[in-house]
Amino acid sequence: MLLTAIWLLPLAGGLLVMLLPHRFAKWLGALVGVGALGLAVYGAYAFDPAGHGYQFVERTPWIQQLGVDYYLGLDGISVWLVILNALISLIAILATPVDMRGAGRFVGLLLVMEAGMAGVFLAVNLLLFYVFWEAMLIPAYFLLWIWGEGPRPLYAALKFVLFTLSGSLLMLVGVIGEYVFTGGRTLNLPDLAAHPLDPAVQFGLFFLFAIAFAIKIPAFPMHGWLPDAYVSAPVPFLVAFAGVMGKTGAYAMLRILVPLFHHPVLWWDWNQVMPVLGVLGIIWGALMALAQRDVKRLVAYSSVSHMGFIVLGIFSFNAMGQQGAVLQMVNHGVIIPALFLLVAWIEVRTGTRDRAALFGLAARMPVLAGVFLLVTLAALGLPGLNSFVGEFMTLLGAWGLSPGLAIAAAIGLVLAPIYMLRLFQGAMYGDRTAAAGLLDLRGRELALLTPLLALMFGIGLYPYFLTRVMTSLGVPLPWS
Amino acid sequence: MVLIAAATAYAVNYSADQAWSDLQQISPIAIVVVALLVAMVLDLVLPRRAQGPVSAAITVIGLLGSLVAALALIDRGHTAYYQFAVADNFAVFFDVLFAVLGILAVAVSHAYLARRNFLQAEFYVLLLAATAGQMVIAQANSLVSIFLGLELLSIALYVMSGFARKDFRSQEAAVKYLLMGGFASAFVLYGMALVYGATGTTLIPAIAKSLGPGAGTNALLLLGILLMGVGFAFKVSAAPFQMWTPDVYEGAPMPVTAFMSVGTKAAAFAMIVRVFATGLPSLNGEWAALLAFVAAASLIVGNVAAIAQTSVKRLLAYSGIAQAGYVLVGVIAGGADGQASVLFYLAAYLVMNFGAFAIMVVLARPEGDRDRIGDLDGLVYRNPVLGVLMTVFMLSLAGFPPSVGFMGKFFLFAAGVHHGYTWLVILAVLMSVVSVYYYVRVVVHVWTPVDAAERRLRLPAAAGLAIVAAGVLSVALGIVPAALFGLAQAGAVPVAGVGGG
Repeated sequence: MLLTAIWLLPLAGGLLVMLLPHRFAKWLGALVGVGALGLAVYGAYAFDPAGHGYQFVERTPWIQQLGVDYYLGLDGISVWLVILNALISLIAILATPVDMRGAGRFVGLLLVMEAGMAGVFLAVNLLLFYVFWEAMLIPAYFLLWIWGEGPRPLYAALKFVLFTLSGSLLMLVGVIGEYVFTGGRTLNLPDLAAHPLDPAVQFGLFFLFAIAFAIKIPAFPMHGWLPDAYVSAPVPFLVAFAGVMGKTGAYAMLRILVPLFHHPVLWWDWNQVMPVLGVLGIIWGALMALAQRDVKRLVAYSSVSHMGFIVLGIFSFNAMGQQGAVLQMVNHGVIIPALFLLVAWIEVRTGTRDRAALFGLAARMPVLAGVFLLVTLAALGLPGLNSFVGEFMTLLGAWGLSPGLAIAAAIGLVLAPIYMLRLFQGAMYGDRTAAAGLLDLRGRELALLTPLLALMFGIGLYPYFLTRVMTSLGVPLPWS
Repeated sequence: MVLIAAATAYAVNYSADQAWSDLQQISPIAIVVVALLVAMVLDLVLPRRAQGPVSAAITVIGLLGSLVAALALIDRGHTAYYQFAVADNFAVFFDVLFAVLGILAVAVSHAYLARRNFLQAEFYVLLLAATAGQMVIAQANSLVSIFLGLELLSIALYVMSGFARKDFRSQEAAVKYLLMGGFASAFVLYGMALVYGATGTTLIPAIAKSLGPGAGTNALLLLGILLMGVGFAFKVSAAPFQMWTPDVYEGAPMPVTAFMSVGTKAAAFAMIVRVFATGLPSLNGEWAALLAFVAAASLIVGNVAAIAQTSVKRLLAYSGIAQAGYVLVGVIAGGADGQASVLFYLAAYLVMNFGAFAIMVVLARPEGDRDRIGDLDGLVYRNPVLGVLMTVFMLSLAGFPPSVGFMGKFFLFAAGVHHGYTWLVILAVLMSVVSVYYYVRVVVHVWTPVDAAERRLRLPAAAGLAIVAAGVLSVALGIVPAALFGLAQAGAVPVAGVGGG
């Protein structure tokens, strides 16, 4: 029942929060969030690191006629993403201003979205996975639209929904295709993986699934919705949205594409195309980040670049690369929320997100500048901080696949310091000092970032704690 | 002389036991007809003030009785009246569907009729007549009885569409529906006549038996299929025969639109499955090709045209055209799974589509229906229950999990891919993305903040109950679809050799 509780608690709590008066909303929401985090941490604590395959398995028939089960499981990958989801969602709730318009509904929808994402990480049945995958879109749409900032929140929300939906409905055809071509008996992932299909069929199905996942990540060239959505998103939502939702796409690639479609070859080999797309994403995202003046947009494009490493790692088809990819999912989920929060706090204080209008802040807000530096260094992959390990492992994995790709991907590592440090230097130092009267980081804002900063150090210094349970990753399947 | 002799022979052989047994088989229809007669007679003797509530009560009691009678027939039905009628599980499934639809319609219309000062007893009598017609179609086992039900349903609906006698649009709708419906009926009848000419019988199972290997080249038969197909496509409002739908939906009073948007469509699908899948199984390739064209056209026309609508009635009319396209995917796929998915989706369509229309019924004012999309602005703040449920219905129609609309589409598409219509499924899926745009547009209006000037919307108890029930079912049947799908599977007509396994 643990796994059901992990997704059901936020869902029930979220619906309750929406019904109760707004005054209690944030704190009740936070309480639910803490409870969900507690359950997720307990799952990791009770997780047997030596065990292979799924643990805490829950399995009951759901649609008996089609052989579809309600089937949940936790393994060495999902265990970390479930915790990440619970932690980031809690931070998102805590970052919600109490006086926000309709705060109760906002927090409630955040919790519902957390439930959907938890379900995606836990589902072991393809149809169940699909239901969670689509269901998390509904709260995301409302959060993006009703509380959206900027001139056209509805446009951004609709663009996001239509983009992701065209992908995920094609995935529905893929789910059905997988079901029919494997003989129409089951949709449980382990059973499906045990019946590899004809390469030509795999080729078609791979496309139907991959397009949905690539849009969600978003991976190059499916990232068209991202700048609009990220810039328009209210920051507490963006924390969960950028921090966790993108990971559902990457997780799904590892969980579904890799084991189900080993050999998707007809006109070309998809498994050779994907790493190239990953590298293109790394370079394209970094170049676009270089060109941005809007800081939020800059961080958004840096996210595209980082997600490229994850795609590259997954499709390097060796344990090193895939472990690095999972580690990088967690790292990115820790760094990006911190960056967006800092950008939002700077905007609240200075009233602008324009890079050119920000200068000399360090003199007025030394603490914020220090924290910003730390997060910047983590984002650009300084050894000793978390991102370095993940990127290093992915590049090692990519080298095993193709040295050329690894070298090309490393260009991203060169560009990242340029756009990140340029941002940091320009905003914090520069030849002028910012106007007086700017408040430094407050205690509770710092407290909100503390767990993220601790994780940046923790994972950077002892990544083995995470990777040791990802034992059977790589060419063998996650559950074999 | 021969005819008279034959008639006498039948008359002699028709015992009281036989009559009783036959009557039992059509008891759901019979109970509705009895309620209809009672309501009609009481209408003459009761004082005007009592007419409305009494006929509403009689209608509900009759429909509940019909529902129970239908449930009692599960797994026990057989043919009756010299095979003219049948109470197999397929028919029972539709009987239950129509009885539930009728009850929901009464619950939703009651306050509406009073508010708009319509004649109440007459409305319920017509509603019962239409329901009886739908049930006759469901239980028909012969082309003749199908046509009988079709006309009973259609004539009642022609009158109901014009029920707002002083509303020009309503009158226009009635005339348009009468003319177009008359055309469609003529097409169906002509097609039936040709099929009869080609096969020598009107009994559907007998038609299936009479088809020889050469049936595919029999011009008479193929023309009959074509004409019937056109008529059926009219009735399910599938493209390219959908022109009447938006105008009639828009003009007819809102409860009538709600009733016929689900009822006519379900009845017409019962007809299509019965005649094509049961009667012409070996010509599967011919009629499936015809219907595949109709389905593709409906998906495109319905979804694209719905985008530009500013009237919720018209928007839902075009959405209904598109939804007919989705259901046709299941019909074309055929086989047990295809038919089960059709039945499941029609039940799903009942709760979600009727629910959406029912909310529009509640919005109506004494002077007329309020169906501009702007009339929905801020619904969630004026009445949170209605606002949230409208969102649920729209998301369900759009096919978002975990709603019943998603499960329905999943079953339909699964059957489609299974039987080799992947291209049609991909088209349906892409068109679903388009549909999200206009369904979400309704949701946007529901959640748009309005000035506090709009007063709180009062919800009549009966209508509220019906809407909440539809909303709960829209979600619950999506989360736990197995039970309904089991019933749908039980209701699928066993047809050998259709759809390629």
